[in-house]
Amino acid sequence: MILFLLKAIMILSLGLFLIPKKWMYFFTLGLQLILVFISSILVFKAFNELIVIKLHFLNLLNNPIYIEIDKLSAFFLIVISFTCLTGIIYAKGYLQPYYKTKTNTELALHFFCFLWLHLSMLFVAMFRDALAFLFVWEIMALTAFLLVIFETDKKETIKIGIKYLIQMHIAVVFIMIGFIWAYAQTGAEFGFNGLSVYFASHNPFPLFMIFFIGFGIKAGFIPLHSWLPHAHPAAPSHVSAVMSGVIIKMGIYGILRVLTAIHHDLFYIGLFILVISLTNGLVGVSLAIVQHDIKKLLAYHSIENIGIIGIGIGLGVLGLALNIPTLAVLGFAGGILHIFNHSLFKSLLFYTAGAVYTQTHTRNIEELGGLIKKMPKTALFFLIGALAICGLPIFNGFISEFLIYSGMFRSLQSGSLQTDIILLFGISGLVIIGGLAIFCFTKVFSIAFLGTPRSNKVVQAKEASHSMILAFILISIAILLIGLLPLAFMGPLSGIVNIFTANSSLIQQLIPTLNTISISSGIFIAIIIVLWLLRAWQQKQQNITLDTTWGCAYIGANPAIHQYTATSFADNFVQISNQIVNVKKTFKPFESDEIFPKTRQFNTHSSDKIENYLIMSPANFVLQFFNKIAVFQTGKIQHYLLYAFVFIIMIFILTLLNLI
Amino acid sequence: MLSLVLILITAPFFVGIILKVKAKFAARKMPSILQPIYDVSRLFKKGAVYSTTTSIIFKIAPLVYFSSVVIAAFFIPIGSLKGVLSFNADFVYFAYLLAFGKFMMILAAMDTGSGFEGMGANREALYSMLIEPAFFILIVSLALFTENTSFYGLFKSLQISTNLSYILGLTAIYVLMYIAMIENSRSPVDDPNTHLELTMIHEVMVLDNSGFDLALIHVATWLKFSIYGALISNFIIQMEWPLYWQLGTYFLIQVAFAGVVGLLESFRARNKLGKNPQWIIMLSAIAIVLFLTTLIITKKIILY
Amino acid sequence: MTYLFIILYAITLIYFALSERTKKFIWLLAIQGLILFGVVFFSLNEIDIFDFIFILLETIIVKTMVVPWFLNKVRKHNQLKREHEPYVPVFYSIIVVILILMVSFLLSSYLNNGNMHTQYFTVAFTSIIFGGYFIIIHKNIFSNVVGYLIIENGIFLLSLAVGSVMPIMVNLAILLDIFMAVLILGLFINRVGDTFKSLKTEYLSKLKD
Repeated sequence: MILFLLKAIMILSLGLFLIPKKWMYFFTLGLQLILVFISSILVFKAFNELIVIKLHFLNLLNNPIYIEIDKLSAFFLIVISFTCLTGIIYAKGYLQPYYKTKTNTELALHFFCFLWLHLSMLFVAMFRDALAFLFVWEIMALTAFLLVIFETDKKETIKIGIKYLIQMHIAVVFIMIGFIWAYAQTGAEFGFNGLSVYFASHNPFPLFMIFFIGFGIKAGFIPLHSWLPHAHPAAPSHVSAVMSGVIIKMGIYGILRVLTAIHHDLFYIGLFILVISLTNGLVGVSLAIVQHDIKKLLAYHSIENIGIIGIGIGLGVLGLALNIPTLAVLGFAGGILHIFNHSLFKSLLFYTAGAVYTQTHTRNIEELGGLIKKMPKTALFFLIGALAICGLPIFNGFISEFLIYSGMFRSLQSGSLQTDIILLFGISGLVIIGGLAIFCFTKVFSIAFLGTPRSNKVVQAKEASHSMILAFILISIAILLIGLLPLAFMGPLSGIVNIFTANSSLIQQLIPTLNTISISSGIFIAIIIVLWLLRAWQQKQQNITLDTTWGCAYIGANPAIHQYTATSFADNFVQISNQIVNVKKTFKPFESDEIFPKTRQFNTHSSDKIENYLIMSPANFVLQFFNKIAVFQTGKIQHYLLYAFVFIIMIFILTLLNLI
Repeated sequence: MLSLVLILITAPFFVGIILKVKAKFAARKMPSILQPIYDVSRLFKKGAVYSTTTSIIFKIAPLVYFSSVVIAAFFIPIGSLKGVLSFNADFVYFAYLLAFGKFMMILAAMDTGSGFEGMGANREALYSMLIEPAFFILIVSLALFTENTSFYGLFKSLQISTNLSYILGLTAIYVLMYIAMIENSRSPVDDPNTHLELTMIHEVMVLDNSGFDLALIHVATWLKFSIYGALISNFIIQMEWPLYWQLGTYFLIQVAFAGVVGLLESFRARNKLGKNPQWIIMLSAIAIVLFLTTLIITKKIILY
Repeated sequence: MTYLFIILYAITLIYFALSERTKKFIWLLAIQGLILFGVVFFSLNEIDIFDFIFILLETIIVKTMVVPWFLNKVRKHNQLKREHEPYVPVFYSIIVVILILMVSFLLSSYLNNGNMHTQYFTVAFTSIIFGGYFIIIHKNIFSNVVGYLIIENGIFLLSLAVGSVMPIMVNLAILLDIFMAVLILGLFINRVGDTFKSLKTEYLSKLKD
């Protein structure tokens, strides 16, 4: 039944190209709802049954391909389906303006790709066979590419899309090499199931590294992240939300899946993941602070959050290696829960940012301001997302970070010296990342939504459409549910953690803690409400006046200009971290005899050092090299024939000399 | 429950004592120790002026800030008195909750659309980010030393008896005291008495708050001081002492802490603003020395 | 008790990284002298009167009084108040000190084989490395002398770490060394200050042939 439905959806999706514009959306929505329905059945089954669900899907090159769903796959099915569902709901509002400009085929292709992206990601989480896995992995990359270049009228978009596509293919090559290597060494099953045979008998680190590079490009681990901050802003918002919320998580899925097969020599793997994740978190959030493009900023925050997820997973692996069950269980639990949490709040943030973009047609936050008056609901939901991503209590981000913290603090005593040092770095790293995230999101929210409008673009902004708000509400409910009642999610979570470590019942120890967290959060909200009522009662008897903001009694200033800007907000952080964020300021200093200063310009520009030195300069070098070689490409047929003769003669001579 | 009551009792007098000490050293006539209470109760009776630029954020922020501080006080034990709420790694909740309050206050300051408040908000954001590691490294050292992971557990099994643990206690108190000073925007990072908006941090953030909201913010500041005073007192109070003796020590330490804050404010010049980040990161550095000391005590690092 | 002084010594190193005023450097050097006295005093097994006088002479008289007094004189002569902005921001210097401290504590933990008093080695190693770092990041000759003195203090601690008994001759030689070095460098600084009206090391490169 399920398999039939899946196949039916695949075929029906072609129908998108045959129907008129106004039906396309509902057709896609319908098909996706069926997909969500299928995946929820599978998830329900996987979480309720102890065994792995295994279904025969089809035959590929005479090989039977199975769908295999364990709890890890089921977890990813939830993440994928929820984000794609909110994505398609949101897309109704977001794509409205494009209905006029885009042709029938373009729109159909967009919906088709979105549907297939959803489908392929589901399969990525379900296939274990290497060939089938790589096939759907490829479909995922291609559909994502087509979705990114939706706004084809912008030249930049195509360039970014190509960049994305190339990097994805490098990733595929690495993953393929990994599978083939394992297969060639052992001759066991060609796929994830065969890996454990290889890892059991070999040193796991080299092969793990190959897989890590392959999946790490997808996940955006520094220094493999360079596609991420470009592709996210270029894509339409629902696509960037799915990319940031789910696609990069598929990289994490790959890494987790490979980790399930490794059972020895885990220490260096764990340390490696932890170190690279800490760098990811710190560098990602530092670079996010200096961005003014709201979507690019969110993209860098994805890098940061991948870092937090990685910290959790790295600690979990270290816990396994050092035989500290608490660290293993809580590290994995925190990391895995953060995958879901991040998909929630990051998609919410991208959706709200997209809503702002549709209304104001700018992504530069320096041109926004005061939007909370024009779009109060969007502002509220952005605030929820911002609070959640900073990991503040009563929201979901806190719970996953708390699990990781809790694991680290509890295993301080049981570890040796090296563990303690690692944990110290882990804790301080996570704290600094959290602090910087707060710095960053106070900046974004206050510059974009608060204060006085900084340009005319804000003036005609209106509240986001209903379908967008519906998507916001759905996500916010999930965010608050995890944040306020974390206990409900611990049962399934311990099931997933069980795949990695046998001691997952340790999560049960957290029950009183999580209960108290819920209670504290409840009291917290209650006090706020009581105070609100108290103040309302108190102010009823007093006179409340409205006036302008205090500006040292000087009222001649233009309020829009005299506000703090994003650049100035970031400046004191830039002063202490310019080695990382690489901000260049260009301005003309005042002359000593300049009594009445003339109008001046001030420019700041930040660039990603790692991307520049590790990706761009080697790429440029290669480009120059090929440019030099291009002298041979004269475009004349005579020359090419001459080359052929020279080649033949060379071969001849070399053969005579016994060189080849 | 009693610990919460104790914190609430000491809170209102804290700022009064600081002011009194400062007046004494400046050879001014001393205000009554109850002066801050009079000020706040007057504010509670007043109406308010709201800026036309502000939105709902500005109205809700002081409430969130105040509640976050109140809930934070729930976790603090005093001597053998348990905090109202206590769970494993509650200090993480404590720190993040305070950060929540600060988050909202920063937003509220930016909400007024004033350049001055922007400056204050921005500095507050940076400094509170930089101070977090010091607090956490301190807690890591204590957790390692006492093999416990909640505030109550930490202080319950904090036995200060050997030479090395005296060093630990003293350094911890030193770090914690300066964390309290920074969290409450006191000298050497900020000076509540300054009259220039350009150099203020916390004071400039609340320029536009008035009436009920301002009163709440003031009370929250008292509470924060009292919370940190209670934390410091836990280093000195021993569990075995009889209760009246513990309570006596608690009050004594709160008064002494307020006195020391007043003393430091009277004699220490505030830092140049640009030098603040490095000064704050210095506290984390000292906290790391504390951590290394703990490693020696717990025999993780063995030295001859 | 020795640990108290060792940890205090580590904290003075952090303050060295933090401070930017020459006067503070001199103060810190004097404090370090006192701490070194404490370290040695509490590590003596039995009090031999000759040893005691010698230690007193070396730490209290020379390190805490004479050298700082002389440096202060040089400072006044050249009207030095504030150090020039160092090559590396102070913010990073503090992080560097901490990393050096952690590395040397871990290193001493691994060096435990009974041949060495690793408790002194911890800060001794930090002090030597940090002294070198201090010289590298500062642009001023005066600060270079201060960095040199930090290294010297480190070597003093290292001599405690390596020798089970205080090798008096070694110490005497070192003592004489620093005494002469500070004296000569002080005179040198004064001359340079008089000639160039500044103590930036950049000017020194003009002196090369």
